[in-house]
Parts: sequence; structure tokens; C-alpha cells
Amino acid sequence: MAELATGTDLLDAIVGVAPGSALAALRAQRPEILRHSQGSHDVLLSPDDLGGLSLAERALVARLVAELAGHVALTAHYQALVDARGGLPDGPRVAAILAHAERLAIAPGSATRQHLAALQAVGLQARDIVALAQLVAFVAYQVRVAVGLALLAQEKAA
Amino acid sequence: MTRTAFTLEAVEWDPWLAPVEAETATPAQRAALDASPQANSAYFRTLAHDVDSLAERSPLFHSVMYVPRGLKRAERELATVVVSIINGCVYCSSVHARRFAELTKQPEVIRALYDQGLDTALPPRLRAIVDYAAKLTRAPVAMTVADLKPLREVGMDDLEILDLTNAAAMFANANRLMQTLGEPIVPETSS
Repeated sequence: MAELATGTDLLDAIVGVAPGSALAALRAQRPEILRHSQGSHDVLLSPDDLGGLSLAERALVARLVAELAGHVALTAHYQALVDARGGLPDGPRVAAILAHAERLAIAPGSATRQHLAALQAVGLQARDIVALAQLVAFVAYQVRVAVGLALLAQEKAA
Repeated sequence: MTRTAFTLEAVEWDPWLAPVEAETATPAQRAALDASPQANSAYFRTLAHDVDSLAERSPLFHSVMYVPRGLKRAERELATVVVSIINGCVYCSSVHARRFAELTKQPEVIRALYDQGLDTALPPRLRAIVDYAAKLTRAPVAMTVADLKPLREVGMDDLEILDLTNAAAMFANANRLMQTLGEPIVPETSS
């Protein structure tokens, strides 16, 4: 359940956009955005080449960002992904990754050069640090698109 | 973050990680950079460290900001400036404030947002855009269908609202990359 079937659009699933609905037709007017929103999700959550950031770490980060934003459905989705990937033992590496993810999610303007050094100290390479930032930034984007789509859906249902 | 840091001047960006260099870039990195707005910028060369995410993000960003029809380009730019002000992203706001000013010849709108804040007096359509982008940035899950009403009252259709949502959301993304992988260098002469 946690890993989406190939061809499934996560935002459609989260918002409940039914095939053939007015909202599906609206979204279809922006095909590149659909393709690369889902594509961003796929390469950040389930990349072919993980680099130094594991599948479980990626799922944990996404869950945290969705949870901090208060988005119930996305949090549940990523929690299921965490569970499917077996979770992770607590430790300094995961703590450092999650602390950085929280900072980027809540107060991106407070990040400093020293925070990247702290990630390097627990073994992250430049590529992993960029992937971590991209992942947090993607979920922040995804939450807001999901909210906007849901508002349009609610308005049409009213 | 004080409002006075925001500027209509060009701002540089200093990366905290050594960017990928053109000479040592892999073919995939080179292709992803060529598809980015500025292949030689330190920012995109930093993002090129994780090439697969850059290769998805650049066409996403391009479509959100420039895809034809729907919300006018200047209005997308305005939304991104609002988000960048709230998140404190001096670099992002500088770039997109200048694009708004170029497209509309109304730099005074940006100056009012910078100097007086997001509550400054604005024409109704710009007011509605600013309010929606601000709320989607600060408290997305607190939004209700009532938050669409001001957009409808100024005549926005579904596609315009979708485009506005995408633009504001894209800068929830952009601000988190730009501010956490490097820092702006603001010219001393900026006003």
C-alpha cells in the first residue's frame, strides 16, 4: 500500500481527484507540472541511485515535513512509507538529519553554513545534503499544492 | 529578518558547498544544468550534486512560472515575491521583484510591500493574490474554501487559481533551497 502503483499520481490520490472530474480536467491543462511533480517525488523518495541517504531516511524526512505542516493525509502517506521501509534506530546520524529537516521546514532563513558542517560530520556528502534540502523543499511544495487543490475540490462540492 | 534587507537591486549568491564545476560535470549533470534557467550559476551548479532531483525540478519550475495561459506572468511573479518576503529569502525576492517590475512597470508595488509590509494598500486583484499567497505560505492547512472567495470576487477562474497555487507552492520550495545551501550577497549601494 505504501509504495504507489506505477502511474499513480500521489496528489490525485491525496486530494481524491477522481478520473474524469472537473478537477482532473483542470490539472490536465498543466501536464508538465503533473509529470515533474510526480517525477520529483519519485526521484527523491525512491531514487534508482540512493547516494548516501537511505530509503528509510528519506521516508522519515518526508513524514516529518508533512507532519510539521499539519497535513494529515500526506503525513499518513509518508508514515506508511516509513513503516514499509522498516523504520530506523535512533542515533546521532538520524537525529542530525531530522534536526536539519525541521529547521528547513519551519525556519529556512535560520540555516547557516555550520549546519551543513554538522551533516558532513555524520557522514553526509554534498550530494546527500542537496538531496535532503530538495526533499524538504519538495514536501513543502507538495503540501501547498495539495491544499490548493483540496480548496478547489471543496468549492465544487459545495 | 528586517524588511530593509529586501531589494530591487541584483543580488549575488554564495554557496556553502563547492558547486559542481563545468569541467568535471558528468553528462547527466551537464544536461540537467543546460535545462536550468542559468546553467552557469553557482546555485544550479550546487543543485547539480543531486542530478536526478535537479533534472525534475528545472522543468517543473519552468512550467509553473512560464506556461502559457492562465494566471498572468506578472501575477505569478508577485506571488513568489510575497512568499519570499515571508520566508526571508532576499535573493529570491530580488530576482522576482525585478521581473514583476519589468513586466508591469510598477516597481512601486514592490517598494510598498518591502517598506510597508504585506498589508500595504493595493488594488483589489493584487490584494487578493497577496493574501492567498501569504496564507498558503504561513498556514496552509488552516485554509478553507472561504479563502478562495476574494480570488473569485476579482474574477479569477479555476486555471488562474491553480497557477497561483503552483507559483506560491514553488517558492515554498525555492526559498528552502536558496536559503539553506548558501547565502545572498547584497550590494552595499542597494536601497
